[in-house]
Amino acid sequence: MAHSAIQNSFDLPQELCVKPSTLVGVSGLDTLNNAIHKAIWEAFTGNRRVERAPVSFKLISNAHEFPVIKPKRNSYDWYIPKGILKKNWMNKHLYEIPAVIVIFYELDWNDLQWNEKMIECASRVQSMRAALEGRNTRITVVLIQNIIPIPTGEDILASERAVALCASCELHSQSLFILPIGDHLNGYAIRLENAFFEFAQSYYHNEAKAVRSHKDQLNKNTHQYLYVRHQFKMAFHYELKQDIMTAHKHYSHAYNNLLEIRIVDTNALEIRMVAGYINYKLCKMLFALNLPRDAISHFKNHIERFKHRIGFHELTFEHYAWLSKQFQFFGDVFDETVKLGLPAVQTQHPGMYYQQAAQYAITRKIVCYELCAKVTTYPQPDPLENFAQMEYYGQRPWRAGKISQDIPDPQLESNGIQALQYLEKQVNHSNLIITLYGLAISQFKTYRCPRTRKHLVLQMADEYYASQDYSKSLTLLTHMLWDFRQEKWWSLMSHIMNKALKCSFLTANIQDYMLLSLELLGKYTNISLDNKKRIYENFNRVLKGEIPFGDPDLPHDMLQKAIIIWQPVFHSSQLKVTVDMTNITSCIETKARFLSRFYEVDQKVTVEIYIRNTSPFMITFSRVSVCINSPVFTSEYAVNSSTISLDFPSNEVKKFEIQFYPDPNDILKDIQIGNINVEIGHPGCKLELKFTSSCDTKGTYPELLHFKYSKDVLNFDNIRPLSTASIVPRSSKLEVSFQHKQPALLGEWYEVYVQIDNKEYNSIDNLEVLLASIEEETPSTTQVSVNSNGIVRNLPLSLDVKKKMGAGETASTYFHLRVHKVSVKNVQIKITYFLNNDNVPVISTKTESLLISVVQPFTVSTTYTSKLMMDINKFYVDEEFGIIPAISILSPWPIIIEKTSFEFSPSVRQVEKNIVSPLHKMKLNEGEVGNELFLACCDRATDQNVTLGQYTIEWRRADAQSITTSTITIIGCPVLKVPLKLSTVLPAHGTVRTPTVIEYMVENKSNHLIQLDVNVDASDGFMFAGFKQPQAKGVMKLPDCVRPSNISVK
Amino acid sequence: MAVCVAIIGKDNSPKFLSSLNPDEELCFQYKILSSLDIVEEKIHGVNRATDNRELFLGLLYALETHKIYGYVTNTKMKFIIVVDSSNIALRDNEIRSMFRKIHSEYADIICNPFYIPGEPITFKSFANNIKNIMTGTV
Repeated sequence: MAHSAIQNSFDLPQELCVKPSTLVGVSGLDTLNNAIHKAIWEAFTGNRRVERAPVSFKLISNAHEFPVIKPKRNSYDWYIPKGILKKNWMNKHLYEIPAVIVIFYELDWNDLQWNEKMIECASRVQSMRAALEGRNTRITVVLIQNIIPIPTGEDILASERAVALCASCELHSQSLFILPIGDHLNGYAIRLENAFFEFAQSYYHNEAKAVRSHKDQLNKNTHQYLYVRHQFKMAFHYELKQDIMTAHKHYSHAYNNLLEIRIVDTNALEIRMVAGYINYKLCKMLFALNLPRDAISHFKNHIERFKHRIGFHELTFEHYAWLSKQFQFFGDVFDETVKLGLPAVQTQHPGMYYQQAAQYAITRKIVCYELCAKVTTYPQPDPLENFAQMEYYGQRPWRAGKISQDIPDPQLESNGIQALQYLEKQVNHSNLIITLYGLAISQFKTYRCPRTRKHLVLQMADEYYASQDYSKSLTLLTHMLWDFRQEKWWSLMSHIMNKALKCSFLTANIQDYMLLSLELLGKYTNISLDNKKRIYENFNRVLKGEIPFGDPDLPHDMLQKAIIIWQPVFHSSQLKVTVDMTNITSCIETKARFLSRFYEVDQKVTVEIYIRNTSPFMITFSRVSVCINSPVFTSEYAVNSSTISLDFPSNEVKKFEIQFYPDPNDILKDIQIGNINVEIGHPGCKLELKFTSSCDTKGTYPELLHFKYSKDVLNFDNIRPLSTASIVPRSSKLEVSFQHKQPALLGEWYEVYVQIDNKEYNSIDNLEVLLASIEEETPSTTQVSVNSNGIVRNLPLSLDVKKKMGAGETASTYFHLRVHKVSVKNVQIKITYFLNNDNVPVISTKTESLLISVVQPFTVSTTYTSKLMMDINKFYVDEEFGIIPAISILSPWPIIIEKTSFEFSPSVRQVEKNIVSPLHKMKLNEGEVGNELFLACCDRATDQNVTLGQYTIEWRRADAQSITTSTITIIGCPVLKVPLKLSTVLPAHGTVRTPTVIEYMVENKSNHLIQLDVNVDASDGFMFAGFKQPQAKGVMKLPDCVRPSNISVK
Repeated sequence: MAVCVAIIGKDNSPKFLSSLNPDEELCFQYKILSSLDIVEEKIHGVNRATDNRELFLGLLYALETHKIYGYVTNTKMKFIIVVDSSNIALRDNEIRSMFRKIHSEYADIICNPFYIPGEPITFKSFANNIKNIMTGTV
C-alpha cells in the first residue's frame, strides 16, 4: 500500500485537485432518529446543482473535537521552517475547520418551557464556542419552529424573546435564524445557505488577512520557505472564498517566491513537487479565468525552468516521471476546459500534452532500465517506512524535516536511493505509456490529425511489443498498414511490416505471418536482399509444415517461447490458410480481363489471367483458378497447368487463358470476374490467396504508363483489366428487306411490306416478328394496324408470319401505319427465333429499323368572290358570295379525288342544292391544282373571320384502293351589315334605241326610317327614256320596306 | 541549413526524400507524415487562406528538436523542409527562398521527358541539386 503510494508519489494529492468549497459545520441535527432533522439535512446536502452556492456541509456531533490550534507565535526570529507545504494543511481547511458552525435547535416562540430551553440552547452555543477556542469560526443558531412565523416586527413576543435569546447566547442578532417546518423547506434552505456562504466568505477573507499579517516578521534569509507557504495559504483561503482573481495573484506570488529559493540536492525534490502543485493551481485558475494562452505559456515556462533540473543522477527516473505527470495533468486540465466550451485548435490541443507525457514516460522507462537493473533487493531496515507520516510534501522519508544542506548519512542515503530504485523497477511502465497514448490518440482523432494519430498508434504498438503483448501489437500494426499502403509510404510500410512479422512469429499467427511474408517479398519494400531471402526461406518452411526460424535479433528466451506456441499449429493434418489479398501489395500481382466487352451467346468467352511474381525468388503455385460471377451463381474455372508451368521465376509474368461457353440464361446480363484464386503448397499445408480482380486504377495514369519501359514480353503494367462483360444474343443471319412507297402521305394507311430471307445454314423455328417501337413523341401521332382498313392496334405489334422456315426460304408479312403529323418516323422490327443447331436450339434475335418520312398529300387554299366574280375580303349580310377551294397536290404520287363536299356551319347558308363537284374522279399529279365553287350567304354580322364550314376531300393514291378522308376547316372573312340593300333587275340583253326598263330594288335592312335622295346618272352609252328622276325622290324608307323604282333608259 | 527535404505528391505519397543524416530518415518520415495533417487542414480546412497565390504555408510544427515548414504548389504537390530547432539563423525569408529553389528544381524535373509524373523521383542530379539547396551552397 505504502509502496504504491511512493511509486505514484508524483500524482497530485486529492486535496489539491478538488475544487475547494466553503465548509459549514452543522450541529444539533439528529439525522438518524428524527425525520424532520433528516429532511432538513437532505434539503441542504441533496440535489446540489451548479447554481447553488459552493458550500459543503459537515455534520458535527456535540462531542466533536476540532484540530488543536497551534500557539500563536509572537516572533519568527528563531523559527526555522522544516519544509514548504504541510501535508495536512489543505485537508484541515477543506474538511475539518468549518468557516461557519450552524447550531440547530427546536424552539418555538411561544414554547411553554421557553426559559429552560433558552438556557439549554445557550449552553450548547457555549460548549461549541469552547470547542472552537481560538478559532474565528462564526457561530450561528437556527431555530426549528413548527409555527409559521408572522412578518417581523408584528410579533412582539417573538422579537422580545429573540433579543433575549441572543443575549443569553452572546450572539449577534444577525446570527439567529428561524427555519419553519413547512412546505417550502428547500427555499428556506437555499436562503439560509446563501447567508452562511456570506459569513464564510468574510471568515476566509479574515483568515487570509491574518496570514498576511505575519509577513512583516519574516526575513528572506531564513524564511524563504515561509514566503511560499504564506502566499499559498492566502491563495487557498481566497480560493475557498471563491475569489479566483485574488487567489491567482497569491498563487503566482507563491510560485515566484519559490523560484527564488536556491536549489540544492536536498531540497530539489521538494521544490519541484511544490512548483508542480502551484503550477497546477495556476493553470487551472488561468483556464477558469478564460486565459488559455496565459495558461499554456505559463506551463511552458514552468517546464522550461525545471526540465534540466534533474536532481540526483541515481534517481533521474523521478525527474522524468514528474515531467510526464506535469504534461498529463496539464492535458487533463486543458481537456476539462475544452469540455466546458473552450475551443481548441489543430495545433494546440490536449492531445499534444498527452503525447509529450507519453514520451517522458518512455524516457522514464529507459532511464529506469539503465539505473535500476542492478537493484535486486529491498534494503533493510526500510528507509521509506515513515513515508505515510511525513509532515511536508516532497521530502525524503529518511531525512524528513531535516533542513541542513549536507547529506547526513551516506549509508542511509544510498539505502533510500536503492529502495526507490527497487520500487521503480516494479512499476509497469508500459501500462502508463499505453494509457497516455490512448488519451493522446483520442484527442488527435478529435482534432483531425489522422496521420499523427496513426503514428501514435504505431508507438502504442511498439509499447505493447515492449510489454510482450504481441497479439495486441500485431492487431494495431496490421490495422495501420492499410492507410500507409493507401498513401504509398513504402519505406515506413517496410518498417512496420518487419515489426508485424516479428509479432506474428511470436504469436504463431500463421495467417498474418504468411501474408506479411508475401508482402515483404514484394518489389516496393526496401529491405535488404538477405532479409528477403530469410523471409522467403521461412515462408517455404511453413509450407512444408516446419516451424520458421525467428528473427536473428530476437533474444533466445523469446524464440524458445515462440517455438512452443508454433508447435500445435502443425498438428492438424490438413492445414489450409486462406488469405484475402484485396488491398495488399504483395509480391504476387494478378490481373484478369475479358477479351471483349460483349460476347454472343454461342461464342466462347475468353478470360486472360496475368500473374506476376515481383519477389526476387521463384514461387511455385499448385493451382490457379478464376471465379466468374453471373447474376445467379458463381462458377470457378481452373487453369490447365499441363500446358503452362506454374513455376514463377523472379519477375516473370505469365498469361493463362480460360475459355468457356456462356450460359444462355445470362443473355443481356453482365458476367464479372470475381476472385482470382492462387494456391501455394501441397494438400497437407495449403495457402490459398484470393485476389479481387477489381484493382483500383486510382492514382495511376494509364496514358503515362506507356512511357514505362518494360523488358517483359508481356507488359504487365499496361494491361488494363476488364472485369465485366455482357452476354448478348447471337447476331442473326436473317436478311430483312422492306418494300414501300416513300414518302408516306399524311393521314393515309401506309403499307409496308416486310420480306425475311433465311440465310442461316439451318432451319429456324418459332419465328416471331415484332413491330417493336416507333420513335414517338406524346401524344401519339401514329397508329398501326395489320391491314389497311383494320382496327388500330397497340405496340408492340406481333405481325403475321409463318413460324418455320427452312434454310434459304423466304417469309413475308406487312403492316400498315398511319401518321397524323409531318415528320420522319423510325420504325423498329424485332425478329426472334430459335435456330435449330446441332444440339440445343439457340435463341437469336435481329433488329431492323426503317425510316419513313411523312409528307402532306396536298394543300387547300381558299379564295372568295362576289357574285360578279370579283375577289372580296369581306362578306355582307344577306349578300351571296362564292367560296373557291383550290386543292394543290404536293404528293409525288398521283392522287385521285373521289369526292368532295362542303358542310356549312350554322351561321352560313348554302345557296345551291345538289351540286356536283367538277373534281369528282379526277386524277391530279404533283403540282396540279383542282378548283371548285360553292355559293353561300351569311345571315349575321361578325367582326371576326367567320367559320364557313368543313371541306371534306375523299381521296386515294392512283394505285391504291383504300380511300382516305381529309377534312379541312375553311375560315372566311368578317361579315358586315349594310343598312341599305340595292339590287338591280336587268333584262338579259337590250336593243339599240329601244327603251329598256331597269329596275332598282332598294331595301332597308335597318330598323330605322331612312330618307333617301336618289339620283341616277346615265353612262355615255345610255340615255334616259322617261323619268330621269325616280318616283321615289325624297321618299322615306320604312324598315324592311322594299320599293321598286323603274327607270327607262335607251 | 535544412536537415531534411521531402516532396509529397497530391495523393500524399512520398515522391522524394533527402536528409543529411540517413540514420534519422525513418524518424523524419514519421514527422513529415504527421505534418501532412496540418498541410491538409491548411489546404482543405475551414479556415484556409483565401489568397491562392501564396504557396508558402509557413511553420507547420515546432517540435522540441525540429521545426517543419510547408509549401504547396498549385497542383497540390507539397514540399516539406525540416530544420533543426537550434538553428536560429534561418528565418522565414530564407526558408521561403529555399522553397522557391526547390520548386524550380521540381519544375525542371517535370519537364524531363524521362520522368513519369506521379512516380518517385530517382534522378541523381536532382538529388544533388536538392542537397545543395539544403546545405545552402547554391
